[in-house]
Amino acid sequence: MPESAKVKEITVALAGAPNVGKSTIFNLLTGLSQHVGNWPGKTVEHKTGVFHHNGLTMNFIDLPGTYSLTANSVEEQIARDYLVYETPNVVVAVLNAASLERNLYLVAELIELAPRLVIALNMLDVAEQQGIKIDHEALSRSLNIPVVPVVARANRGLRELVTRIEQECGTAAGLRNVKHIEYGSEITEVIDHVNSLLDDGITGPYPKHWTAMKLLEGDEQINKMIRTRMTAERWPELDSYLIEHESAAVTIATLRYEWVERMMAVAQQKRRVGRVSLTERIDRIATHPVLGLFMLIAILGVMYWLVFSIGVPIQEFLDINLIERTRDFIYTLSYMPQWLQGFLADGVLSGAGTVLTFIPILFFFFAAWAFLEDTGYTSRAAFVTDRFMHALGLHGKSCLPLVLGFGCNVPAVFGTRIIDSPRARLLTILLTPLVPCTGRMAVIAIIAAAFFGSAAVLVSIGMIILSLLILAIVGLILNRFVIRGKSSALIMELPLYHVPDLKLIGMVTWQNILAFIKRAGTVILAVSILVWMLAMIPNGNINDSVLADIGRFFEPVGRLMGLNWQMMVALLSSFVAKENTIATLGVMLSGSSGDFTQQLKAILTPSAAVAFLVVQILFIPCVATIAAIRQETEGWKWPALILVFQMLLAFAVAIPVYQLLTLFQGT
Amino acid sequence: MESERIEEYLEAIYKRRDRESPVSTSSLAADLGVSQPAVTDMLRTLENRGLIDYKSRMGASLTRSGEERALAVVRRHRLWERFLTDVLGMKWDKVHKEACRLEHATSPDIEKGLSTILGNVDTCPHGHAIPDEKGNIKQVKNTPLSAFRAPAKVRIFSIDYEDPKLLRAVEKLGLLPGAIISVTKKNRDGSLDIGFQNTKLTLDNVTASFLTAEQVPVISLATDECEISLGELQSGESAVIKNFGGGRGSLGRCLSLGFTPGSIIKMVENYRRGPVLVRVHDTEVAIGRQLAEKISVVRKES
Repeated sequence: MPESAKVKEITVALAGAPNVGKSTIFNLLTGLSQHVGNWPGKTVEHKTGVFHHNGLTMNFIDLPGTYSLTANSVEEQIARDYLVYETPNVVVAVLNAASLERNLYLVAELIELAPRLVIALNMLDVAEQQGIKIDHEALSRSLNIPVVPVVARANRGLRELVTRIEQECGTAAGLRNVKHIEYGSEITEVIDHVNSLLDDGITGPYPKHWTAMKLLEGDEQINKMIRTRMTAERWPELDSYLIEHESAAVTIATLRYEWVERMMAVAQQKRRVGRVSLTERIDRIATHPVLGLFMLIAILGVMYWLVFSIGVPIQEFLDINLIERTRDFIYTLSYMPQWLQGFLADGVLSGAGTVLTFIPILFFFFAAWAFLEDTGYTSRAAFVTDRFMHALGLHGKSCLPLVLGFGCNVPAVFGTRIIDSPRARLLTILLTPLVPCTGRMAVIAIIAAAFFGSAAVLVSIGMIILSLLILAIVGLILNRFVIRGKSSALIMELPLYHVPDLKLIGMVTWQNILAFIKRAGTVILAVSILVWMLAMIPNGNINDSVLADIGRFFEPVGRLMGLNWQMMVALLSSFVAKENTIATLGVMLSGSSGDFTQQLKAILTPSAAVAFLVVQILFIPCVATIAAIRQETEGWKWPALILVFQMLLAFAVAIPVYQLLTLFQGT
Repeated sequence: MESERIEEYLEAIYKRRDRESPVSTSSLAADLGVSQPAVTDMLRTLENRGLIDYKSRMGASLTRSGEERALAVVRRHRLWERFLTDVLGMKWDKVHKEACRLEHATSPDIEKGLSTILGNVDTCPHGHAIPDEKGNIKQVKNTPLSAFRAPAKVRIFSIDYEDPKLLRAVEKLGLLPGAIISVTKKNRDGSLDIGFQNTKLTLDNVTASFLTAEQVPVISLATDECEISLGELQSGESAVIKNFGGGRGSLGRCLSLGFTPGSIIKMVENYRRGPVLVRVHDTEVAIGRQLAEKISVVRKES
């Protein structure tokens, strides 16, 4: 490294396809220094982190996982715009040695845009298990790009990678003498012609030759950009030329793969022998239309069992030992004015308590989720459920966020990011609030237990089935009549199974929990304080409060379901968080005699109890979910629609249920 | 008179809706040969009767009962067209106009009689499906010929625009429903070079946009190759990718995942329904069935 080129701070972008271990490398290098946010204006995660080496500060950026740089998806657009606009000092292409062919395609595209490229050849151990041997030096020679063998999972080769990045930074800026792909005379002529039709400077900041190629590849974003920048007289000529050479997209891709094959011929020493890999053996069951479904159900069953058998006791422990104690403690502080005690204990603490009680359950959910994702199973689950999801206009990938919704709707809404079709994603977001979350189920379980004794479990299961049935119906209707557009076709890679990386899972879980507290926690806290205030104004007695007035306002609707104003207040308070219903009822009924069950039976007939369960399970999503939906759909339109729709839906189902049941009871 | 006009409008909206939804007043005015204000008036009337949903500036779309009514008219129209060609031996470019008049004067009994005489016909002479008496119609994927990418082998499905001049021209070329042609090249102005019964001809893009077609498997005797869709490949079989019938959106995705012509593809799992699992360029990829149907391949002996 020449003395003159001493750079104190450099930017390094990590590029690569999904499932190549890019995140593992990123985590190993940046550790806890990483910052997770969103790309501006996009709902795609933006991860940055810092690594120090020999007095050099390397700012790492983890680009979204992409197979190519043609804007087929938001991720691809983000990745290439980052390369073009932010011009990182070095781009590290992380490749999976076990499917090098596929991964080199991205390299073929990166060569065009990245000034300095270093290849991290990851998962060499997996490749070896598959009987694939790769000569990384030969690959490096024929690409004329440094190739560093890495086994990220075992933390091998990262030091060398960093050293190579540092060395690469010292080389002169601009293109190294990387061999560009030769596209052959025929297609080169076509590309050159498009190039000549483009005015100078019109393509900035994209390279002109690259733009010409993307136009031919049918890249809609580039096409739109050029169309708006070009004069009305010049565009038709280009447009008709592009239409005439529509098949160039296929030719270019084919030539790129031919280039990849040439590279493979040099680099790959041994082809795979025809032995059945572990992945294939597992997939015989995991992707089978019937067995695969059983496997999915079994895996989910174990996951829920784990979450609840570990998470719930922890949650209860925290509740009793932390929340209750602090509350008692606050009330012992007699020098505080009473209103302040009430504010801290019932407003702030109950809000914080709600958030806190979520965390143990969510922690295990996120961990289980990250575990399944890292093993490679999630794409199999998407595959086996695709056929059902299709009927609802959804995508195989929609299944997973919906499953997550049973834990909590908030991460489920964020989880829809894995769906690449915008339409299927919107549909999934809209359906998520109809998945009964743990909060809803807690209320259902308590009320059902109070009324139906040993049949409570059956009633609870019935409620789950009811809400899923309604979810399916609403999905069908939305898909057919409300949201326009065609359902998108499924196409996704099924990665090889591998042993999950516990460190990575820990990191992902931690980030998700943090994001939950930041995004949902603050909203829950704010709204619970607000509701507490409504319950206290004007004289501190909930039965005369503004909240009670609101409940009385809704009483006429409630009466149709056999619910008095207290039940309506309890229902409305579920807007803060679903399990608040019970707490609110507890506060309001505390004046009357008997235990909670007796108090409930005094104000509810059995048919009204059923109606209440129905309303509770279908009622508007909690405020945190609404906030999440607002963020993910980028506006108030959909959350507002959901609020109105689910309120009407809940009443529309519960009223006939109550009326029918009373009729039935009467006779 | 009134009901006749209503039926005309419903029919026009029905026919337009594949191309635009909701159907704009301007295109209805053009189709029916009346002024735009007259169309707007009539659409209001139809909306009041619950036959259409109408939003000014957006256009009209059929309601459930509107669609039922439209399908009944379409059925009578297409039955009459069949009758006129098959029984009376009229030319196919003349029957549309006749049927337009007859369809409004057809009692249920006559309709029944027509369908009895004609026996089992399911399309009109122009290739469009005839709805059954309950109003069910066979849904077909009618892709305009102009939307196919060359090279492609396609079967003509229907002619969408019943203009006598166009129909005569098409008949003269022999491009009747069912004819199999190969699209060899797409020209700069959108016209297509096609091969049909050993002759080569050029189809202007207006005509090409009114003909609908579907892709057909190619059987080439010279190389003994049989092109099938990826969806037809059995589990365990290998094949070479030939072509794409899909639109641009899914094309880019397929290409970047390695579905390039000439690539070898192995069907890992195909259970006749639902998505299929294939291995291409050393990776397993799941593809939805619809997309798999659009990728044509040639079986490879392994």
